[in-house]
Amino acid sequence: MSTDILRRNHVRIAGSGTHTMVMAHGFGCDQSMWRFLASRYAEQFRVITFDLVGSGNSDLRAYVPDKYASLHGFAGDLLEIIRAFSSGPVIFIGHSVSAIIGMLATINAPEQFIAQVMISPSPSYINDGDYRGGFSRADIDDLLATMDGNYLGWSSNIAPAIMGVPDQPEIRAELINSFCRTDPDIARHFAHTTFLSDHRNDVARSTTQALILQCSDDIIAPREVGDFMLRTLPTSRLEIIDNIGHCPHLSAPAASITAIDSFLKTVLI
Amino acid sequence: MDDRTAPQPDDRHLYEHAPCGLLTCSLDGMVVRVNAIACRWLGYDSCELVGRLRFDDLLTIGGRVFRQTHCEPLLQIQGSVAEVQFDMVHRAGRRVPALVNMIRRRDGTFVFNDIAIFVAADRRAYEKELLSARYAADTLVTTLRQTEGELEKINLQLSEEHRRKDEFLATLAHELRNPLAPMRNVVELMKRRPAEKGPPVWEIGIFERQLKQITHLVDDLMEVSRISQGSITLRRNALDFGIVLQSAISDAQDTALFVSHTVAVSLPAEPVIVDADATRLTQIVANLLNNAAKYSPSGSQIDVSLVEEATHAVLRVRDAGIGIAAESLTSIFDMFSQLAPAIERAQGGLGIGLALVRGLVELHGGTIIAHSSGAGRGSVFEVRLPLSALPLAIERSPGGSTPTSATPARILIIDDNVDAAESMARALQIFGHQTQVEICGRRAIEAANECLPDVLLLDIGLPDINGYEVVRRLRADPATRHLFIIAATGWGQSVDRAMASRAGFDGHLTKPVDFDLLTQLLLRAQALRAT
Repeated sequence: MSTDILRRNHVRIAGSGTHTMVMAHGFGCDQSMWRFLASRYAEQFRVITFDLVGSGNSDLRAYVPDKYASLHGFAGDLLEIIRAFSSGPVIFIGHSVSAIIGMLATINAPEQFIAQVMISPSPSYINDGDYRGGFSRADIDDLLATMDGNYLGWSSNIAPAIMGVPDQPEIRAELINSFCRTDPDIARHFAHTTFLSDHRNDVARSTTQALILQCSDDIIAPREVGDFMLRTLPTSRLEIIDNIGHCPHLSAPAASITAIDSFLKTVLI
Repeated sequence: MDDRTAPQPDDRHLYEHAPCGLLTCSLDGMVVRVNAIACRWLGYDSCELVGRLRFDDLLTIGGRVFRQTHCEPLLQIQGSVAEVQFDMVHRAGRRVPALVNMIRRRDGTFVFNDIAIFVAADRRAYEKELLSARYAADTLVTTLRQTEGELEKINLQLSEEHRRKDEFLATLAHELRNPLAPMRNVVELMKRRPAEKGPPVWEIGIFERQLKQITHLVDDLMEVSRISQGSITLRRNALDFGIVLQSAISDAQDTALFVSHTVAVSLPAEPVIVDADATRLTQIVANLLNNAAKYSPSGSQIDVSLVEEATHAVLRVRDAGIGIAAESLTSIFDMFSQLAPAIERAQGGLGIGLALVRGLVELHGGTIIAHSSGAGRGSVFEVRLPLSALPLAIERSPGGSTPTSATPARILIIDDNVDAAESMARALQIFGHQTQVEICGRRAIEAANECLPDVLLLDIGLPDINGYEVVRRLRADPATRHLFIIAATGWGQSVDRAMASRAGFDGHLTKPVDFDLLTQLLLRAQALRAT
């Protein structure tokens, strides 16, 4: 069973410690996104990283569209991973869509969680009355079109041209784009599931202590969404990272780690 | 080495007029340098871009999300991204399809993204065509799979139907054999019967009843196949459903099946007028009554009611019998639906009665449904027929058409089944007719020429030339052209009747021959001879 899950989600475990930390990547790439945070926290905790089914090196055959037509399918997988590979409740770090996946898991099985760190979360991407998710339905269609347009480049086994990058060792050809490459039909379906999901009504039901990490300038999870999360999550605090973009754990790892450390101090007494 | 701080004049010229658009952006995306080609393609002055707009501002919203979720992580991890397709947004608002390469460059503490853009409208159009071809192919494959699935379903249905037909044939054979046993017995009895004991009345009674049963089975079978081939035509009249119902009930009560049942009838005082074929309507009622009696324990009551409901006449036949499981409520009207092997059923039957009833009801523009609270809890059959807008047809005096016997005639019987021919000859002799028997087509023609009979009773399937051909030749010969020729055949469908009529037969009888109908034809022949 646990080997099945290991293969299905390409689960990797590093480090050791009394507590287990589980990291779940967001829409677009895979667990490589945790390269900075995982190596840092492996000094302190047992760190589990994995690929969402349909991403990275997960088992693409396990991508059953009906199951993954809602984020609950992914939340179920997360709980299976925690039960299979952790002996006690975990500190969960989820980026973007995985912050919401983790939140759904905390509602279903709060006993499996010590705390949750939500990096750039958004419970709903589409503007709706007073709620500013940041997008219109047409924007989402535009994203899907852009993904379709990049179908040949992303899925092909032929790596695109390798460009010499100054002061950086050349990347091996088979690794080019590999972090973000997946089956285009799955990518499209996952994009639908992600960007058309609406879990605003679930936010208040997650009682696990939460840290919301938000970037100062992020079109995918705008500031208003962070405020909504803070207002609605029962036990939460919000930290703003000075960063343009959606991936502070990649582009501002030091600031991210500082914020997470100070949160963990209050959680792990 | 460091072309940002110490540009050569040639390098500057190359940057400005490179065969691609070039932008340099700081890590936050702000444009810090842009070449003339990029400005021209995007419709901006360089001063409108540098220090004022970020690269994301030149993308659609979907493009911005894609850049953040896909390109940015790749730039972070592998330092460059190549061949990304974006729609860049021209200053005038239109989209410029572009192919984009990016390199992340570190210069001391500063990090820059060098971005090259290539307008790729043609390539995009080409790729769109490829994509739509792929989707078309995917759609075709999906359709193909669906069709395969449907085919498989149809195959399953066909093999199920095939299985049911096999079972039906077994049932049919069984049901036809049942009456044969007593028939054979009484034949043995009659053979050994001493002449002085007089006519074998008891044996003949058995023989007649069993024969009737076989004939009834075969008639039902033919009716159902005629309905399923759509070859039944109704002779419809405005008639009182109540009268038909009463007469069908009284006929049914005369049969053995109803000895132990009581039938309670509820009829409205006024006539219930429907536009129907009286014979078929009687058949509908008789079958439903039979069905109710067959599946009810002895001593139980069958309730029959007829009411008008809005625009329809509604007949309900309720029994207290074995009932119907919910899942079978519609399938019982299917052909061969009586699935239990014949040996398990006390009452027998072919299981086509209800299919026949439904066929006849639908021919009348009506519907039939069954209700039951489940197995063992009785059932109700409900027939709805549209009420007629026509006035009641003039009633013919009932029972007035018993055929009188025809005057003796000379009848030539042609049938390759010698027993059938001989027994027919003897039966006709009893009525005073003269008969001659032939067993093939050629002999039939010779005999017809020799003795010029009043009537020919001619089988169609003959070993040498068939009945149609015999008629054709007789009609072609002036000597025999006028002969009165009756087809007597096992093929009773209307298409067979039509073929017989076209071939030149004067009448058509289905075997076993009904003597009343034969007498009617003989009377007609007699009348023709008189003119």
